[in-house]
Amino acid sequence: MTEPVVHIRNLNVQYSKNVVLNDLCWSIHHGQNYLLGGKSGSGKTTLAKAIAGLLPTNHEIKFHFDPSSNLPAKVIYISNWFQFTNLEGDRNFYYQQRYNHHQGHDTLTVKAELQHFAEKENLDFNIIEERIRDFGFEDLLNSQLIALSSGEHKKLQLIRGLWPQPQLIIIDEPYTGLDKHSRTVLNNWLDELVVSGSQIILITNDTQLPQSINGFTQIIDGKINEVKSRSEIQVDNNRQKRQLPDFLKNAPSTSYDTVAELKNIFIRYGEKQVLKDVTWTVNVGEKWLLQGANGSGKSTLLSLINGDHPQAYGHDLSLFGNKRGSGESIWDIKQKIGIISPEMHWYFDQKATVWHTIASGFYDSIGWFIDVKFTEKQQIEELMEFFDLTAYRDQLLHTLPLGKQRLAMLARTIIKNPPLLVLDEPCQGLDIEQTKYFNDVVDELAVLGKTLIYVGHYESQLPSCIEHRIVLEKGEVKAIENILESV
Amino acid sequence: MANYFNTLPLREQLNQLGQAEFMDSSEFADGVNALKGKKIVIVGAGAQGLNQGLNLRDSGLDVSYALRKEAIEQKRDSWKNATDNNFVVGTYEELIPTADLVINLTPDKQHTSVVNAVMPLMKEGSTLSYSHGFNIVEEGMEIRKDITVIMVAPKCPGSEVRAEYLRGFGVPTLIAVHPENDPQGKGWAEAKAYCVGTGGHHAGVLKSSFVAEVKSDLMGEQTILCGLLQTGSILSFDKMVEKGIDPGYASKLVQYGVEVITEALKHGGVSGMMDRLSNPAKVKAFELSEELKDIMRPLFQKHQDDIMSGEFSKTMMEDWANGDANLLKWRAETGETAFEKTPAGDVKIGEQEYFDNYVLMVAFVRAGVELAFETMVEAGIKPESAYYESLHETPLIANTIARKKLFEMNRVISDTAEYGCYLFDQACKPLLKDFMKNIDTDVVGKNFNDGKDGAVDNVKLVQINEILRNHEVEVVGRKLRKAMTAMKAIKTV
Repeated sequence: MTEPVVHIRNLNVQYSKNVVLNDLCWSIHHGQNYLLGGKSGSGKTTLAKAIAGLLPTNHEIKFHFDPSSNLPAKVIYISNWFQFTNLEGDRNFYYQQRYNHHQGHDTLTVKAELQHFAEKENLDFNIIEERIRDFGFEDLLNSQLIALSSGEHKKLQLIRGLWPQPQLIIIDEPYTGLDKHSRTVLNNWLDELVVSGSQIILITNDTQLPQSINGFTQIIDGKINEVKSRSEIQVDNNRQKRQLPDFLKNAPSTSYDTVAELKNIFIRYGEKQVLKDVTWTVNVGEKWLLQGANGSGKSTLLSLINGDHPQAYGHDLSLFGNKRGSGESIWDIKQKIGIISPEMHWYFDQKATVWHTIASGFYDSIGWFIDVKFTEKQQIEELMEFFDLTAYRDQLLHTLPLGKQRLAMLARTIIKNPPLLVLDEPCQGLDIEQTKYFNDVVDELAVLGKTLIYVGHYESQLPSCIEHRIVLEKGEVKAIENILESV
Repeated sequence: MANYFNTLPLREQLNQLGQAEFMDSSEFADGVNALKGKKIVIVGAGAQGLNQGLNLRDSGLDVSYALRKEAIEQKRDSWKNATDNNFVVGTYEELIPTADLVINLTPDKQHTSVVNAVMPLMKEGSTLSYSHGFNIVEEGMEIRKDITVIMVAPKCPGSEVRAEYLRGFGVPTLIAVHPENDPQGKGWAEAKAYCVGTGGHHAGVLKSSFVAEVKSDLMGEQTILCGLLQTGSILSFDKMVEKGIDPGYASKLVQYGVEVITEALKHGGVSGMMDRLSNPAKVKAFELSEELKDIMRPLFQKHQDDIMSGEFSKTMMEDWANGDANLLKWRAETGETAFEKTPAGDVKIGEQEYFDNYVLMVAFVRAGVELAFETMVEAGIKPESAYYESLHETPLIANTIARKKLFEMNRVISDTAEYGCYLFDQACKPLLKDFMKNIDTDVVGKNFNDGKDGAVDNVKLVQINEILRNHEVEVVGRKLRKAMTAMKAIKTV
């Protein structure tokens, strides 16, 4: 038998006292395409980064690429988090920046970014054009990176990552933020790459996989544990139901009947029409699902409601019974809303601990204020208990597994007991069990008179309280309907 | 128009120069009420104009933009900025007569013509706001007696004013009321409300005067903030290239190093920055900065003297009248420096490496901050004002260098700052010629600690620490930083 393509012997990785990989051994042979699944925090990303040479190792990992192949003899790792930079490599963006319109161009266009990449990697632009079309990305070539939605960023990241087609491709959470159609496009593309000589490792607990996946493995106690099928991979434990803290049991008092009333709203960025004649009413207590393909205008619509969009002024738009621009401040509006979005998570303060993250919810600020009152401190403790976050209290948010991070972000939105919850793809990047856990919590929170607007791509992974649905297509309302059976 | 400051008796000069009071947050309890329902018209929609307007509107105030007819007809950037964000835009004639508060956020150079155009159109008893006192103090503009004249000056570039507001914070702000123009006694209430509307009250507000703002602001920006950062960056880069350090590495170290180093300044003052060095490196940085202070003190004093006497503004206004001949020449020269033209290399530089390999910049920053502060205080400016215009603003300007080097810094800062920066840079480089001859890569480009055993003399180290910590900029800085409720970290590249 030929030597394995990747041969790992006794790999050890630990972060301070926390052992992540413990004498891990793994051989990946030619023709093997793996699903790497398992519990969150088990070390999947760490292992992937080690193989990709992104962590310091001591020759525990050996490669035997195929010298006869014409594909580049290397490994590429596509991370689960897309971090773009502006023209000079700075990353100090704020999350509402894409809505604030300036004449100055701070980031590259999609096309310039791809051309720059092609030049650096010596790639041919023609070979990628078909993929750009498949992903429905052509119209965005002239958009600024900052103007892309989260799903569009993911597509760009995949296009960039897969374009050089090396012999080994590792993708961490490949489906994050992708709509249904784009998932199929990606799976077909991966199958084609395998046929033409690449090997793939996908880190996901998803069920819709490329056909070429023929190996299943997970990490248990820092060691590789190969299994025969996907169903044998361990999942996170079910959530133990807990008592909702008392301070969240009081339904917020409301002096208005409608939370949001939008009439004939048009929003455009230069040439790009983002919302077209949108009319929508959200009454107090309603539970809405907002759907649409990547780039259909969902996040822009929500930004009008949560006060983040400068173009909200001068339109027929009322929030919480007040016409927009009638003397209310964005802080008056935000005070009534608990919001999570992928963008907000991206731009969240890297220095915030779990405790700071939740505390900042009292002030609708990113990051935190020092002055937190005694009763507020008690509420933070109760909420951490409710979300099983107490053990992570003083850890930096961004060092936790993604599922825990999202729960902390949800705790942040709920801490002030707001009348409206806006959850924009809150389960992006979470696996099925984590999603179920999260949505269970949402269902519990939503019963008490709260209004909910929830954005999610997959109909099987939604909170059961949802009763109405609005669907956007290319900026227009395609459907507004009641959902009779619970989804 | 005569220089306003020079028309005042000495007693009144000292009185206005010496105004600086850090305001308690309870002073802002009334929020934006003093301006609620009032019509606010902003003149100018550049970086400050647009971003302050976005903040004020998001705080529930009624904001529109008055632009010159040509800017509207030709759909210039200012017109696009305002209309793309759904603001009402009109000509001076259309909007100024309706305004209760006119905010002038045009570049300094245009103030005289803008104010001359706007003033006759303004309503009886309305308010005119500036964000820099140059026009009033140096150019001696006199405003109609029924009009209230205030100043609200966020101590950050416009983009930061917006970003911090949306993060739920704000940027430190200086406010003032012109003593010659407060007929109804409403100036302070409106200045405070305006400040709340931009978020400034979260980050610390200094009650100042037009005179104190101008004389300290000019001094800070010319010397430590822009001038010395420019001189230090160019000299450091050239030295590294001369000594064979990879230009890509040198470019990156200089471009981002100043931001990383001054970030420590923001949190812990000069001593906090020096504490990031190993003991031997700290001793070295101290010695270098002492030497730099001796060499540069006369230059700092000359700048302060020229600012106080009005000589600086006179020379600059002559250049304005001369079609900006000097400014444009110096700007072009800056664009041509090797540092500017060498892109940052694709190398990873760790956060601590920026300190260890760039001891020279630490020395430049300490020398510049302390010199600017000392010179201002000696000239009669209060330590609180001097702190804001020296130490506090340094990291903010450094951030613009990290973004796009010196070109970006000079683009973002005001035209007076840019002019003063070049003036300083022209004089400072020759002054440091001999000093730079003795500089080697151990303090710029390579890790100072390499090959050393880390030993230092106890007594010497104790003395150095004492000198650093007891400097007045540190004493006042500790007090002011504590008052700022939020201090956030930037990300390093």
